[in-house]
Amino acid sequence: MKQMFRVAFDLLLEAARRKWFLALFGAITLVLVILGFSLQLEVVDGAIAGSKLFGSMLSKEIVSANRVMSGLFTVVAYLAFYGGAFFLALACSDFAPELLAPGRIEHLLSLPVARWQLLFGTFLGVVTLAALGSFYGAGGLTILLGVKTGIWNWNLLLGSAVGWVGFCALYSVMLTTNFFVRSAALSGALGVVTLILGVVASFRESISVAMSEGIGRTLFSWAMLPIPRLGTLATVAANLAGSLPNEPGMVGRLLGGCIIFSVALLSIAAWRFERKDF
Amino acid sequence: MAEALSVRNLVKHYPTLFGPGQQALRGLTLSVPTGAAFGLIGPNGAGKTTFIKVLLGVVRPTSGEVTVLGGDPQDLSVRARIGYLPERMHLPAALKGRDFLRSVSTLKGLSPSDAELGKMLERVGLANSQQRIGTFSKGMRQRLGLAAAMLGKPELLILDEPTDGIDPLGRVEVRALLLEEKARGATILLNSHLLAETERVCDRVGVLQLGQLKLDGTLEEIRHASSRWSVTFANGAEGADVAGFVRGEKGFHFEGDVAALNKAIDAARAKGLEITSVVPMTRDLEAVLSELQGSEEAK
Repeated sequence: MKQMFRVAFDLLLEAARRKWFLALFGAITLVLVILGFSLQLEVVDGAIAGSKLFGSMLSKEIVSANRVMSGLFTVVAYLAFYGGAFFLALACSDFAPELLAPGRIEHLLSLPVARWQLLFGTFLGVVTLAALGSFYGAGGLTILLGVKTGIWNWNLLLGSAVGWVGFCALYSVMLTTNFFVRSAALSGALGVVTLILGVVASFRESISVAMSEGIGRTLFSWAMLPIPRLGTLATVAANLAGSLPNEPGMVGRLLGGCIIFSVALLSIAAWRFERKDF
Repeated sequence: MAEALSVRNLVKHYPTLFGPGQQALRGLTLSVPTGAAFGLIGPNGAGKTTFIKVLLGVVRPTSGEVTVLGGDPQDLSVRARIGYLPERMHLPAALKGRDFLRSVSTLKGLSPSDAELGKMLERVGLANSQQRIGTFSKGMRQRLGLAAAMLGKPELLILDEPTDGIDPLGRVEVRALLLEEKARGATILLNSHLLAETERVCDRVGVLQLGQLKLDGTLEEIRHASSRWSVTFANGAEGADVAGFVRGEKGFHFEGDVAALNKAIDAARAKGLEITSVVPMTRDLEAVLSELQGSEEAK
């Protein structure tokens, strides 16, 4: 286990020195700092009486702070889900190809490390990186608004956690791809394609109904069945962040689906890795 | 003497989807005694790197037996006792040399102090390198790879082109390091295209060609496993050519095995010739390799 955590730690160490991730954390910090200095909220008895951004009045209406935060968190959760997934799919696409590069993989495999430890260590490293990014952003915004309004609403963190599980499913596709074809471009592209398919899968019933009956519709239904419903997961994450209600049992079903999907793909990757010569 | 590694009837076949594929190793049988410095030589495509990868468990053999340090190379406890430097090592560019050594140490189950890591960097001439690996020269990368291989004083060091990219003076330093490791008692398996380097470091050599072991023995045996003899006659050598001796620039020589040589000597003596010396003609590894290559092409 120690070896697996070391592989994950090394990946984080490597990521910390890459421009992509420095830019990501820099951008999140910049947004938080700018908001911290330029957003002024006047809160009276749990209601926002006035708000200013860069000195200009945003609204003169008196609205409940909870309502404002709910709306803001919903939008942020959506943006973080799709933007974050897209960015991370591209930025993390070359970790596995780097690990499997000729001259590196032979060295790693010559060490007393099991192949599954390398596989899961890489997965763990990338998803930890995604967790750090999303929780840093969500946590920072929560604290910032908490300090400014005096209302501590942690739901954005909850929404981020749900979104993060969606990214885990996405990355399992990207990682597994590399054990068949070692390519950062293909890995990144398949990550983005999975995200798009995940949105399509969320509307599979309505799309299916719109299609004429026959083999095409059946094939579409079967093809969409194993794809995690990432579009619905984004809505659920946004609802959670915005303290809006979700269909009972929906969160559990979607999270369970993503976890099963990830485990299935990682099992295929492990099976392939164990049999592969380098 | 105990064996550090041994393989018997080792076959490795890389099948392809649409063809018979390539047979990299064809029934290779070889053993290396503990504490030896064994040089593996052979032309490109001889199967040297595949053989090394089989020893490390990176490539699984199609058939045959492999024993490394008394166990199976797939066994993690066996691999913990091996140090390996791959040909053209790919290092994580964003890390610093010390970070990389620390990472390899942890993966090897070691926990060296900062001072110990510093000492290892000093040993390979990288004590003052504070920059990231991405900015390292080829030679510096090779030195770092060597340091990683030597971490934890492994019982078996497998080095694939260890001086590739290192300047001539650096090569002398690397050679000294390998000799130090050998003196410590480590078994060394060296795969190098630099035959002079193999001769200087190794006491045993194996010549691999088309996935088979063509020659194996101590350096002396290989050099003298010649079928060429230099012969000196006492007083004149009229008629020596008749007995099969060939006149060269520096005297006579004879080509053939020991039995043929004795027959030729008997024939020469029957003609009244006196022989004062018969010396096997030694060759360097380059000559051994090109001779083998020539005989293979002739076939």
